[in-house]
Amino acid sequence: MTVIDSSDTPQQGDAPQGHATEGGHHETPAQRHQKEHMATWMFIGGDAVFFALEIFFWFYLRSLNTTGMWIGAKCSKLNPCTDGLGNPITHPIPKAAIGYTLGVAALIIVSAAFIWFAEIQGRDGASRKALTPLLGLGVLFSLAAIGLQFYQFQVLPFTTIDGTYASVFTFFMGSNIAHFLLVATIGTGLMNRARIGKYDNHNWYQLHLGRLFAVWVAFSCAVLAVLASFFA
Amino acid sequence: MTITEHYVEDTVLGPKAGGLYRRQNFFVALVTGILGGFIGWVIGQELLQGSNWGTDMTTTTTGVGWVIGFSAGIGSFNAIFRWIAGRDEDREDQLYGAGVGQGWKRYFKFCTDHKVVGTQYLVLVMVLFGVGGTLAMMIRTQLISPHMSFLSSQTYNSIVTIHGMVMIIATIIMVSGPFANFILPIMIGAKDMAFPRLNALSFWTVVAAVPPILSTFFLGGGTDSGWTTYAPLSVQSPAAQDMFCLTIITFVVSVTVAGINTITTTVTMRTKGMTMGRLPIFVWGSIVSAGLGLYAMPAFLMAQSAMLTDRVVGTSMYAPAQGGAGWLYENTFWIMGHPEVYVILLPAVGALIEVASTFSRKPVFSYKVMVGGIFGVAGLAIMVWAHHMFTTGWAPTLADPFMLTTELISIPTGIIFLCILGTIWRGSIWTKLPMYFLYLFLWNFIIGGVTGIYLSDVPADQYFHGNMFVTAHFHFTLLGGAMIGATAAVCYWFPKMTAKMLDERIGKVAFWIIAIGIQITYYGQFWEGFQGMPRRISNYAPIFANANLMSTIGAYTLMTGWLVFLYCIIHSWRHGEVAPANPWHAKSLEWMVPTPVPLENFLVDPVVTADPYGYGEPEPAVEPDREPEPAVAGSSSPEGGAS
Repeated sequence: MTVIDSSDTPQQGDAPQGHATEGGHHETPAQRHQKEHMATWMFIGGDAVFFALEIFFWFYLRSLNTTGMWIGAKCSKLNPCTDGLGNPITHPIPKAAIGYTLGVAALIIVSAAFIWFAEIQGRDGASRKALTPLLGLGVLFSLAAIGLQFYQFQVLPFTTIDGTYASVFTFFMGSNIAHFLLVATIGTGLMNRARIGKYDNHNWYQLHLGRLFAVWVAFSCAVLAVLASFFA
Repeated sequence: MTITEHYVEDTVLGPKAGGLYRRQNFFVALVTGILGGFIGWVIGQELLQGSNWGTDMTTTTTGVGWVIGFSAGIGSFNAIFRWIAGRDEDREDQLYGAGVGQGWKRYFKFCTDHKVVGTQYLVLVMVLFGVGGTLAMMIRTQLISPHMSFLSSQTYNSIVTIHGMVMIIATIIMVSGPFANFILPIMIGAKDMAFPRLNALSFWTVVAAVPPILSTFFLGGGTDSGWTTYAPLSVQSPAAQDMFCLTIITFVVSVTVAGINTITTTVTMRTKGMTMGRLPIFVWGSIVSAGLGLYAMPAFLMAQSAMLTDRVVGTSMYAPAQGGAGWLYENTFWIMGHPEVYVILLPAVGALIEVASTFSRKPVFSYKVMVGGIFGVAGLAIMVWAHHMFTTGWAPTLADPFMLTTELISIPTGIIFLCILGTIWRGSIWTKLPMYFLYLFLWNFIIGGVTGIYLSDVPADQYFHGNMFVTAHFHFTLLGGAMIGATAAVCYWFPKMTAKMLDERIGKVAFWIIAIGIQITYYGQFWEGFQGMPRRISNYAPIFANANLMSTIGAYTLMTGWLVFLYCIIHSWRHGEVAPANPWHAKSLEWMVPTPVPLENFLVDPVVTADPYGYGEPEPAVEPDREPEPAVAGSSSPEGGAS
């Protein structure tokens, strides 16, 4: 059933195909792009399932509103969430400030935009001097998004224990920070590699993959921000 | 037959090849893991105590510290930092990473050779089964008589929980780990997996997840909420539950990475002529399982992440008193939980088809229908989860649709079953050890499958749910079906993986003990179920005594069988007869390469001109334009070896 094709027989000492996947000379950038492009989409697909479940959690708990605790109680020893018989008492908490929530989303969208612009420049064969600042700005804005997200956590008018709205909202924040860290890490790698001249108009596929992920993160963060701001 | 030769092994590596990898291995990782755990403990204990979450916070930061420390020590992060720094590996680094010149030590390192990773997985799976099996024997010992006091109730609950999860982890990786790594790339004519470093990462991430789950026994008396860890009980469990959640989160990372790698390898690295229509069924089973895992595992991640935040920082997603919903956890868990059964089963079924065709000397019966059956199972698997919740009171109006989808899934499952039967029907059966296990699979799986149909029926489920009938059903499916399928795969590919023949005589002794042990153990549990004995109880009414005694005797028999099989593997690996390249006279590509398989599998790229099941068909003519005279693989006689 099988014949052996000897037309492209490797020679003694050639780098193996499998172990040369990143940087070896048996695979062209186009071949590597194909593999990593597919893997990136699958990773985004898996992340999309997680993202869909976050939204499911939001609407499930919001519609259930068990014991009136969606917009829940500000609980403390002086202000307990249950009476002496164990019945829930709700003292509605204020919602999170929309400005911070949308601000975080805006920052990560700007970050993704810079990475996307860098990809376009990279395709056109832009120099390292052109690419590096663009990617640097992408990283900077992702770090700013992380910073603002932490700041929002500090100034929230509720804590994690104050009902299910507060719970899912803070879960979103954690999820955002994890995603922004990935964007910042990937962006830093892209920036540094651009700085040392790893990309040109024949070899820009990593910029494309970075952009795909950054845009996905920006999109998902924006959806969560809209959800948390206008559908609480 | 020799179609290639070792040549990379002869390469002399420079003293700096591998860079940091030279200093990293399993033992270094243990030290850095413990160090990381200690740092995590200090952070949790000293810096985050102000958060008022106390023990849970400290436990979690300690576990996270362990995982990060271990991963750093083994080398999981090296490639990421090198990439960020803009330093690509040179050829020497790649060869060092692939284990060239390192002998047995490469099995304790972050090795990128897919065959090393496959072997590492095989050993890890056996270790996990050893742990899970030992816990199972403790459970059965406690249940040998009505008022046994071998274990306290708390300890019993912890053991049941950890037995369940260790076994689930082991069964998820039992075929996709060893064989989708070692065998699959060779089957499709690739020289390695698409992402060798991710391959090693997936393995060592599972290893990092093992100590946290075993540590649960020492944290507050263990986690006691069963392997499903239903909320809100699990939200209130001791600190051990934090480690349980952390284990799952770590494991999900591993399975996701492995799944992406398997699919990408199959889609992008097939050799010339290996069209999708010629893929071996094992490859189909593996990639559909991996795809299903990409859907299911994020749900597991979500379920356990939310559990962890409920426990560690006081969110209330699952606690009804604070507005949460236990049903939310149950839904999320089973959105993962039922597809996961097929994540386990499909690669095993794929392996069994390889066995059926090879040892029946017949092509696969209705290849396209078989592949369709695999996709049908996967498609329906994501629409059946709520049959686990018929008795919970959640959405009673949805009971009928979920009953229907669950019963529908028996159709593609039945198609797969019939295709296996059709493949061996009237074949020239060569009754070797893998075939023994194939027969046992067919017997067990029909019992597991048919009893599953009863459980999908809402009225019947009202009685059986939560009793030992369910336990017997899923053990017949997962142990009697999938695990026996994996055992057949071990027997079939053992010569290729170890270069030694598995001892048939000892193997058959093990087979008969296992076969009998399964029947006694789980018929006993069906009996308990019919009598109405609930699951997860450490003491029971005397009316259940005989059935439990029978089940425990069966379990000891089963354990004996597995120990004999383990001895068979170790003995054969060390002292077995040297295996020829193609002892089964099979037709698929993995049997066309020498044994032991050289680093890159193929010196020259193979060209596939027919499907891998062409038994009884004349050999195709060699393509005339190949220069020089091509070596022909797959030249074994169609009747070769049949008896």
